[in-house]
Amino acid sequence: MSRERLHPAVWMTYYLLVLAVAMFYWNPLLQGFALLGGMLYFAAIAGGRAFLSELGFTLPLAVLVAITNPLFSHAGATPLFFMNGNPITLEAVLYGILLAGMILSVLYWCKCLSMVMTTDRLLTLFGGFLPKLALTFSMTLRFFPRLFRQMKAMEAAGKTSGLLADDSFFDRLRGRMKLLPALIGWSLERAMETSASMKARGYGLPGRTNAVCRKMRGEDVVFLAVILLLGGLTLLSGILGDLSFWFYPRISDLPTGGISLMGYVSYGLLCFLPVILEWKEWYQWHLLRKKIPLS
Amino acid sequence: MASSAKENSPLLRVEGLTFAYPGEISALADLSFSLSAGEFVLLTGVSGCGKSTLLKLLKREIAPHGKRSGEIYWEGAPLSRLDDRDAASLIGYVGQDPDSGIVTDKVWHELSFGLENLGTDPAVIRRRVGEMASYFGITDWYRRDTDSLSGGQKQILNLASILVMQPKLLILDEPTAQLDPIAAADFLATIHKLNRELGITVLVCEHRMEELFPMADRVLVLDEGKLLLSASPREVAGLLPKAHPLHSGLPAAQRIFAKLACEGATPPLTVREGRAYLESHYAHLKGAKLPVVPVTEGETVLELDKVWFRYTRNSPDLLQEASLSLRKSECFALLGGNGSGKTTLLKLASGLLTPYKGEVRVLGKPIRKYRSGELSRVGVALLPQSPAALFLYDTVEKDLLEIAKGNIAGGNADAVRAMADRLAIASLLARHPYDLSGGELQKCALAKLLLASPKILLLDEPTKGLDAAYKEHLVQIFRDLKADGVTILTVTHDLEFAAKVADRAALFFDGEVLSPDSPRTFFAGNHFYTTATARISRDLFEGAILPDDVAQLCRGGAQ
Repeated sequence: MSRERLHPAVWMTYYLLVLAVAMFYWNPLLQGFALLGGMLYFAAIAGGRAFLSELGFTLPLAVLVAITNPLFSHAGATPLFFMNGNPITLEAVLYGILLAGMILSVLYWCKCLSMVMTTDRLLTLFGGFLPKLALTFSMTLRFFPRLFRQMKAMEAAGKTSGLLADDSFFDRLRGRMKLLPALIGWSLERAMETSASMKARGYGLPGRTNAVCRKMRGEDVVFLAVILLLGGLTLLSGILGDLSFWFYPRISDLPTGGISLMGYVSYGLLCFLPVILEWKEWYQWHLLRKKIPLS
Repeated sequence: MASSAKENSPLLRVEGLTFAYPGEISALADLSFSLSAGEFVLLTGVSGCGKSTLLKLLKREIAPHGKRSGEIYWEGAPLSRLDDRDAASLIGYVGQDPDSGIVTDKVWHELSFGLENLGTDPAVIRRRVGEMASYFGITDWYRRDTDSLSGGQKQILNLASILVMQPKLLILDEPTAQLDPIAAADFLATIHKLNRELGITVLVCEHRMEELFPMADRVLVLDEGKLLLSASPREVAGLLPKAHPLHSGLPAAQRIFAKLACEGATPPLTVREGRAYLESHYAHLKGAKLPVVPVTEGETVLELDKVWFRYTRNSPDLLQEASLSLRKSECFALLGGNGSGKTTLLKLASGLLTPYKGEVRVLGKPIRKYRSGELSRVGVALLPQSPAALFLYDTVEKDLLEIAKGNIAGGNADAVRAMADRLAIASLLARHPYDLSGGELQKCALAKLLLASPKILLLDEPTKGLDAAYKEHLVQIFRDLKADGVTILTVTHDLEFAAKVADRAALFFDGEVLSPDSPRTFFAGNHFYTTATARISRDLFEGAILPDDVAQLCRGGAQ
């Protein structure tokens, strides 16, 4: 799978570019690409069921945002009707819809990011140039589940020995306050044990290497170049002012010059790139599978 | 010159080592011994004899601070002069808590951690890690989170992540104290295999002598910081002073032999040798049996009535129509494999979890009708799997005082002191709970439970980390408790302890408590899930499950 095969730095660059454009350019066409690309990609990697259940949560949120904006923002030159003496304007309605779309697309892209950039891959990413940070990150991930488990065990022990009551909210609060110093002590003790285990295995010797560092391969470089090119063209077109769009006081026209077109095409390609890759790989796998005998 | 000195000198030599923690009397006194390359040495002694201190002193990076004299030599040169890189990689150390050794969140990362520290080339790291992962059978959980592993897997991981650094000496401080017997046997077999196949020198400190005696080349016995004995496993029983508490921890075959005191015969070491020994000397007594004590009926104090339980809606059932009733002042031992749900059953019996079907009744009243805290007031107490969770303060004494406050009228401090004497933990009262070893913590946790004067004791692995001498002590405490009308339900992997202490024993399997019976019937009927003594004597005698039983039958005490 491309999302597993490519170097994490390639994907990190990709997500940063897509998200940056989606958050800073209020162009409806760009927003449409970002939203559609993000949703399709999420559906592709998370599966239809997860996509639908996610939709059940995000759609109401989007509707809420879209409705709230015109209720509170009365800027804009085209009133549709009046509510409590305040104008509900066309511009504010459309701006609300765009805002909702933007929030959705950022949400979906972040979901994809968290699915693709697993902790392993984040380690690979940082292991190369920030090895200390990568190790700290890994140790933190090791520590927190243990901390929560210890807290639960202490609560249970307190409950069965009758020293922690949990009849009311205040009982529970008092119980937590009592557990806190013990948990801090426990954490410090664990930290000392961990440092002993690290020292015993030679941590602190000069010239530490990193097993997780992965070199950029040819394919990584090609994809990175494509991503940087598409993202760069989009940003260039934006910097030249050919992607600008505004709502207030009156909605502007969608810019349609040659440079604008370059921006649309490149960002569109950028947003759909992972879905295309997923689809291509799925299709290849489908063809390969046909060669495997059924029984 | 240097190389020839290296060849002639032992791998490790300790000369006149004396050590004292700051402000305390000496923990080790004038200790001298040596380890040859490739040797498998078992270090043993009662709790608190200085074993752990000695092992830590041998691993330079984690050596405790204090006053020391004497010298430790590594291949003929003082250990302190060994290069840092060599010191870290050539001597490997595994402690008793499976969790505390693990540093990172992923198995593969943990395996490469040591080599990363040594500055090994990433390609070499990958090869060595791959090699070790295959050797240890880790490939299935290579990509998993370290947190999701079982205790046994964690200990194997600790071992493997040291072996990638290619050590010459492995130091193991009670590596199986926190494991169940099956995981422990696996772990010890792995150590034995490493010793035989790779020639790694092993120095292991353990209470499980049944499994380790047959593996070891030599046994070192430490007593109050001094070296009492250095002998081959076979000789230990004969050389150990008569009343030494370590006798009760020797393998069953040796204990049977010691009780019968045959002159001239070679002492047996393993179950197989024990059987052969009995066959050759007592074949004429074949068929002798011990009477089964009938299980007494009594008032039911705790009852699980067709209980069903699962943790989440889509997880499998851990309890499937499990039923169990405890009678007043009996001790019930529940045995069974790891992850079979025994701990869950205890949590249900203590009200921490609620069944989705069926009912738990305490003193005849459904458990859901008790308000929070009420169960502990009527006298239900639970010893959790991790006893550290019972301690919230910076000394053991404070925790004990807190619980004594509400439950024993008058003389709190006196009650605490009396309990400390009863459980032999007076010297631990002023210590921080987290500084205690697993076994010491277990004793203190038990003291805390008993201070609440419970009527129903629910114990999760009460003998974990305890040495054999203390287990004998615990058997006596349990008998006293029963005489006072306390009912005990203990989940345990310690079959011999169960055989000694239980009035009834049962196997927990496939979500059910299978036909409880008296321990004599239970253990004599089992082929595998039984005490070493029963395995030794099963062909000759019926119902002999403890060395004393065999001795009694051999002396012709059968009825």
